[in-house]
Amino acid sequence: MTPLFNLLAAQAEVPEVIDRIPSGFSYFVLPFTIGVAFMFCWIGIGTIRLLAAMPREDRIKFWKSLFIPKTAAKNIKELFCDCLFHVKIWQRKPLLGYMHSAIAFGWFMIIILGHIEVALFVPARLNVTRGGLFYPIFYRYFVWMNPGHTTLRGSFFFFLMDFFLLYILSGIALAVFKRFRSIVLGMRHTTKPSFADRVALYSLWMIFPLRLLAESFTADLSGGSFLTIPVNQFWHFLFGDKLWFMPCWWAYSICLGLFFAAMPFSRYMHILTEVLWILLRNAGIKPNHPRKGVAEAEIYACSSCGLCLDACPMNVQKKNLKFSSVYFIRFLRRHNEKKINAIADKCLMCDKCHALCPVGVDAPALRRAQRATVNNSLPYDYSYLGSVVSKDTVRTAKDTGAAAELRPYSAAAKRGWTRPGSDGCPEGMVSEPIQTYSSNPEVLYFAGCMSHLTPRIIKSVEKIFKAAGVEYAFADRDGGICCGRPLMLAGKTDAAAATIAANKKMIQESGCSTLVLSCPICFKIFKEEYHLEGIKVVHYTQFINELIASGRLNVEKTDRKMVYHDPCELGRGCGVYLEPRAALSQVGTLVKASKEYDESICCGGSLGSLTLDTHDRAKISEASLTSLLDGKPETIVTACPLCLKTFSETVANSGRIAGKVKVKDFAEAISSTL
Amino acid sequence: MVDFGFGLVPSSRINLDLFDKEKYDELAAMEPDVRICMACGSCTAVCTAGKFVPTSLREAIEAIKNANSEKALQMLESCQLCGKCSMVCPRGINTRHLILSITKVYSQK
Amino acid sequence: MKNNILIIGGGPAGLEASAQLQRMGYNVILIERSAKLGGHLAKWDRLFPDRVPADEVLGGLLRAAEGVKCFTDTDIRAINRLEKSYNVRLTNGITVLSDAVLVASGFDLFNAVRKEEYGYGIYNQVMINADLEAYFKTGDDKRIENPKKIGFVHCVGSRDEKSGCRSCSKVCCATAVKQAIEIKQAFPQADVFCFYMDLRLFGRHYEDLYLEAQKEYGVRFIRGRVAEVSENYDGTLLVKAEDTVASKPLKVTLDLLVLMSGMRPSASVKELGEHLGMMVEEDGYFSVRSGISAGQRSPQPGIFLAGAATGPKTLPETLADARAAAMEIDRYLTEIFPDARNYKQLVKERW
Repeated sequence: MTPLFNLLAAQAEVPEVIDRIPSGFSYFVLPFTIGVAFMFCWIGIGTIRLLAAMPREDRIKFWKSLFIPKTAAKNIKELFCDCLFHVKIWQRKPLLGYMHSAIAFGWFMIIILGHIEVALFVPARLNVTRGGLFYPIFYRYFVWMNPGHTTLRGSFFFFLMDFFLLYILSGIALAVFKRFRSIVLGMRHTTKPSFADRVALYSLWMIFPLRLLAESFTADLSGGSFLTIPVNQFWHFLFGDKLWFMPCWWAYSICLGLFFAAMPFSRYMHILTEVLWILLRNAGIKPNHPRKGVAEAEIYACSSCGLCLDACPMNVQKKNLKFSSVYFIRFLRRHNEKKINAIADKCLMCDKCHALCPVGVDAPALRRAQRATVNNSLPYDYSYLGSVVSKDTVRTAKDTGAAAELRPYSAAAKRGWTRPGSDGCPEGMVSEPIQTYSSNPEVLYFAGCMSHLTPRIIKSVEKIFKAAGVEYAFADRDGGICCGRPLMLAGKTDAAAATIAANKKMIQESGCSTLVLSCPICFKIFKEEYHLEGIKVVHYTQFINELIASGRLNVEKTDRKMVYHDPCELGRGCGVYLEPRAALSQVGTLVKASKEYDESICCGGSLGSLTLDTHDRAKISEASLTSLLDGKPETIVTACPLCLKTFSETVANSGRIAGKVKVKDFAEAISSTL
Repeated sequence: MVDFGFGLVPSSRINLDLFDKEKYDELAAMEPDVRICMACGSCTAVCTAGKFVPTSLREAIEAIKNANSEKALQMLESCQLCGKCSMVCPRGINTRHLILSITKVYSQK
Repeated sequence: MKNNILIIGGGPAGLEASAQLQRMGYNVILIERSAKLGGHLAKWDRLFPDRVPADEVLGGLLRAAEGVKCFTDTDIRAINRLEKSYNVRLTNGITVLSDAVLVASGFDLFNAVRKEEYGYGIYNQVMINADLEAYFKTGDDKRIENPKKIGFVHCVGSRDEKSGCRSCSKVCCATAVKQAIEIKQAFPQADVFCFYMDLRLFGRHYEDLYLEAQKEYGVRFIRGRVAEVSENYDGTLLVKAEDTVASKPLKVTLDLLVLMSGMRPSASVKELGEHLGMMVEEDGYFSVRSGISAGQRSPQPGIFLAGAATGPKTLPETLADARAAAMEIDRYLTEIFPDARNYKQLVKERW
């Protein structure tokens, strides 16, 4: 020892910290080093393969996006807020957010700080050949604090490291507790870990207590702070002067090694993959296959945190927990075709899991892509679409009031072609009183398939249009073709494209300037996939709200207590939350549901699910209803024909609620006050 | 057995002995409710595509049971999966899933 | 003094009525022309819709009727009407002076041999519902040996002018569905077809039985009448029907065909009607005082009716009918019958 001191004393600057082990190596670092090297190789190769599998345009788009200032700023913001601080989880469940961010941010900090410590005090060791890979991790083993030469800076770093270690340990404590009483952290249901998950999880739990143990064992040699030093004194109290610290450091390294070795096979790969996924997502690159290409980054970015499982509306029945997004992603990783298809077909596509995923994994989109791999190749024949005509949507009444002349829309009909056997005039229409309007109506109203089974919507909408003096044409009064979204939800993308093309033609030839939809399912696809140039596409809640706000429609405010149900496709699907509420506030008092806006619970009637049976759906409807009845409303108002039918039936079939609350459509609620 | 030639013209008669039980059982495993259709016709009545071209789930199910799977596929090829039939089926059959299942099972060679 | 009441027919209606009347304190004499009590119920295995064992129900009826004087193998030799009562001479030599008579003569099954085109009695593998029920009870019938394809034909002898019966027999559809389930339980690998014209499943739990047959047992229901049955050289049956839903004639090869023979008024009706001077309607069943409000009274004072003697009934309906008849008898015997002076007047007003 003495010669070393002499050597040091001869140096110009007295170092605060000295290499205790000249070689800078000890065998115990091997488990960690092998483990982490394995993991880095795995992710390196994986990333290269993924980028190689991407189409060239997407790759270029990706590289470019990294330099666009706006995208770069978004990336940095999301990397900090979502990956480190888990802001999205804080917003929903604070204690859970604390737990995740404590481990994530805490560990991130001690790694960074560890490297800074090495850079400041033993810079030579940063070099990879001289142990740069493991030195910062095992800093407190390799260094020897030079007593009497500690500076404020040194103490500060010791303090920071101890502080962050304590921070992480508090998170770990919560994590262990969560395994026994998850409800305290706000999660009713949690994910069941797989075998690799368990290996990684238990070793992760052990890493930090072992680190505390190991560092405290060497605290009198390497230095420490408020956490490690008292523990060190405790060990001395227990074991006397000599402390066997090697076993602790071995254990620490082994746990680390185990964790990193298990990481690529467990959910914890998300730590690094989510970085890649966020960059890809913000570059605007979407997956088109549930497994290959960009989807690989997406499914490995999933951390199995279980928030999707906790929020999925199907989980009112424990047996349906296995269909949650987190398990879908797990089985995608394992290429378990049978389970993947079963889960993909069950989903309601309500998008709740996507809305609250801390990493922004779009599991419903992956499910649709999976459905497409099976359903898109099924045979279909839509040749009849080319000859479909939108009859009687425009009529001009002659002055004599005689039978109206019908002028159908499509180009084919303009050539005088009509369906064989029909005279172009639907039964009974001629004798009906018709409103007169000009040949190019301002508004085209498309009710959609479902609305024809809930005719009170159509009646109310027409009543409102008449009262507001809207010049409109009813595109599918006698029934039309489907908008195409159910086909898209089922994965039949080619068939959907054919339907879209046919409808698009009809709508564009109508000459309207606004397209009003009473069904949010239609609204979403008309807005996003149709690309109707020069036509404003609005949902009837938006249109009617505008009518009220501009004074074209006079409504009366009643003292009716109403609660509004956000339909999945309108709310989370299209971001329309405020306009329906603004309009409804003009006709009554709105009370709150226990879960609303983007947290609203699916009514259970969604077309998205291919395999849910009536019994399961009824349970989901009941749960959704219970949430709506929280504020004791007199009326439940919804803006979707499917929600309307589902809730009406649920209320009628439920003995205890039936008769106590009414279910009304949005247009019905507004028109009843005219 | 001597064939007198009465079989020359394609039979306009349903021959239940030609029913493909294996395929039907495969279909029933995917969607057990195919068994409880009571052929009431509600699905056909509300069908969106049925207004334009012959489309009928009831007929498709009946065609399968009568050993005529080509007709079944024909009756479903124009389906838009709009879901109106599911809404009205009095037996609560998940008709959309049944349509997809029939197409999957019977379009395989 | 206890009144004598004669009950003709020892089936469920007669047994239930006798038990009730005895409980009320009357002197009941029950006669049954066959050797055993219980009527058709004694031959059945399980009852629809919940498949309760028939012996349990019969056992209950017999226990409740203990103490009633029952004469089996006994019929009526002659009946004379006295002022108010009936003097009945039985074939066993006994004479009864009964103040009220309850006719519970029940029903017979249609003789399916008459429907020759179905081949009952001609082809080996054709049987009727009663035969199948007997098989379920005893497990013994040479015609049933691991059948692979089984058919049930509804409406045999019912709703058929050619068979002499326009009306529906009410219970055969539920019986067919029940038996279809039972034979599927016995032979799970078999394919079962039911050929019907209309499915009459009106009662409580009947629709669930239908759903069960379809869903759990894969029974195929084909709407269309079986018109012709022929026999292949190996004994299997070639059955021709129409699938009216598909609008096409249909053929299928079956190993076993079960005909749902309908209900007919009992053969004893003609004789009884003559003895008692009771009216019989075109459909062969006895007339009642009023189909809606007096279904257990015949047009003649003192003669009551219960059970399938007045038309096809399910078993619960028969038992309810019998209890109602007992009540009617009691009312008659306490309010009208004792008043000798005003008897005719009372009968005119209240019968």
